[in-house]
Amino acid sequence: MLIDLTENPDCTECGLCREACPVFQIQRQEEYSPRGRVMLDCAGLQTLVFYQCTLCRTCRIVCPIGHDPNGETLRSELINAGIETSANQTMIINIRLYGNPFGPLADGELPKVLTCC
Amino acid sequence: MDQLESLFQPTQVSNREETRIAYSRDASRIQGECRAVVWPETVTDIVRLAQWAAETGVDLVPRGAGTGLCGGSTPQNSVVVDSARLRHIDVLNLQLKHVVVEAGVPLDQLNLNLRSSGLFLPVIPGSHRSATIGGMIATNAAGLHAVRYGRMSDWVEEVVVVDGKGEIQRLSVGDRNAFAGREGITGMIVQATLRLTEIPKSRSLTLFSFEHLADMLEQVKQLKTNSALSALEYLNPHAAGLVGWTARHCVLAEYYSGEGEIRDPAEMVNLWGARESLSARLTQAGFPISEDPQFPPEALEDNLDWLMVQNIPVFGHLGVGILHPRFLREDARIAELYYRVSASGGQISGEHGMGLKKRHWASEALKAEVLALKRQFDPQHIFNRGKLC
Ligand SMILES: Cc1cc2nc3c(=O)[nH]c(=O)nc-3n(C[C@H](O)[C@H](O)[C@H](O)COP(=O)(O)OP(=O)(O)OC[C@H]3O[C@@H](n4cnc5c(N)ncnc54)[C@H](O)[C@@H]3O)c2cc1C
Ligand code: SF4
Ligand code: SF4
Repeated sequence: MLIDLTENPDCTECGLCREACPVFQIQRQEEYSPRGRVMLDCAGLQTLVFYQCTLCRTCRIVCPIGHDPNGETLRSELINAGIETSANQTMIINIRLYGNPFGPLADGELPKVLTCC
Repeated sequence: MDQLESLFQPTQVSNREETRIAYSRDASRIQGECRAVVWPETVTDIVRLAQWAAETGVDLVPRGAGTGLCGGSTPQNSVVVDSARLRHIDVLNLQLKHVVVEAGVPLDQLNLNLRSSGLFLPVIPGSHRSATIGGMIATNAAGLHAVRYGRMSDWVEEVVVVDGKGEIQRLSVGDRNAFAGREGITGMIVQATLRLTEIPKSRSLTLFSFEHLADMLEQVKQLKTNSALSALEYLNPHAAGLVGWTARHCVLAEYYSGEGEIRDPAEMVNLWGARESLSARLTQAGFPISEDPQFPPEALEDNLDWLMVQNIPVFGHLGVGILHPRFLREDARIAELYYRVSASGGQISGEHGMGLKKRHWASEALKAEVLALKRQFDPQHIFNRGKLC
């Protein structure tokens, strides 16, 4: 099972996983790398950076000791603390009101088709 | 800071808390303090930054992937200059076997791009997934194939550097001393022309294990005469046990021929994977401090024996005498190790550099060299102040 490890080895901050992270590949800033996120968490920060993780766990696969980034937990802590992005809020309102994340459809507009890789 | 922000696009500079925390240390985990980070995209960005630093007196710390193990890219109330957006692979000259790359290109990305040409850069540190060309030149990295290919300075034809006067310098092999292994104290490497070699046609491995050090070193002497040898990695019994190998003195020999016992590609990947996981595993096992002394061949037996008796896990590039003994935090035996290295005519830093961690051990000769280089390239000491010595 990928999530909910009973024991998650501590990150050693070696930096070997950063090129594997799709978010780092776009941002090219250390705070968005798996190691950067660990450093922010260790410093006790609750930050929107934690939302910018695809939860893909590629970092865990390349990590020599299999450290899990625990993205779901970091996010749920943000939600518990009421820290949200405006995009999140809009999406939730849209789902509640219109049953889809994009909001009301214009007359004759077809629902968007989402495809997956 | 306002002035710094006005020099760049908003996406190229940050002093927000998240950025400052993430850049406050490198893989050594020596804690520093970061004022701000700049992500240059062109050489002129760095020239502008160097001129700003000369005017304000702020220290600039060049940074690649931050995999360094000595605090070389750890800021000390400095502005970090991250090469992560200098990633172009510019020109490949197949006839000369040269490639021109920007400093922030990670080694594995370069070699992946080169694969179809049949060429590669053969200096492979254990951090090859992330380590950048700029960082590898600045530390004069060696690594897993040093016994065959030497170290980074052997593969650099030319570098373009922005020095501490804000001038663009084009330095060739003859000026190698000014940049290779200088840990960013002479300026920021922006671009490099690298020599390449052919990707080997075949590979195989043999994993040897020995009860006695003397027998192992005798075998190593013989192995080094084999022209197909491409790696000679050592794990002492404490380290070997950690990756599930027999807890004896183990030597992993790689050949660019089929003469090794292990030829199955999957099995070879597993063995290399185990070897490359050692650094993180030893940290996890309570030995976070990685040293990198280089011993002359005649001093190996005595020193490996001492490390065994001290119960210190060791691995390393035995073919070139570079060992990685792993210590506890604040371990008093590190000082003893350095005395042993000096007494045996070895090097305190085989491949990781001096950074902040080992600067107190710098020799008078090194201090004099650094001073002369600073005078020539960085008279106002704006690049990597206080590093190396
Ligand atoms: C698991 C692991 C295994 C390792 N194995 C090896 C090994 O086998 N062999 C080996 O030699 N090292 C090894 N290292 C150490 C490290 O990976 C190397 O020193 C590497 O060359 C650093 O590259 P970097 O891009 O991460 O540089 P950084 O760590 O960012 O910087 C290292 C130094 O270079 C300077 N620098 C960085 N970029 C530039 C630039 N563009 N211009 C000027 N100066 C610059 C920095 O200021 C700093 O002083 C290992 C590290 C880890 C974590
Ligand atoms: S799980 Fe998150 S941190 Fe890890 S690689 Fe994927 S996006 Fe990056
Ligand atoms: S998650 Fe693993 S690979 Fe990434 S920095 Fe931490 S220990 Fe290294």
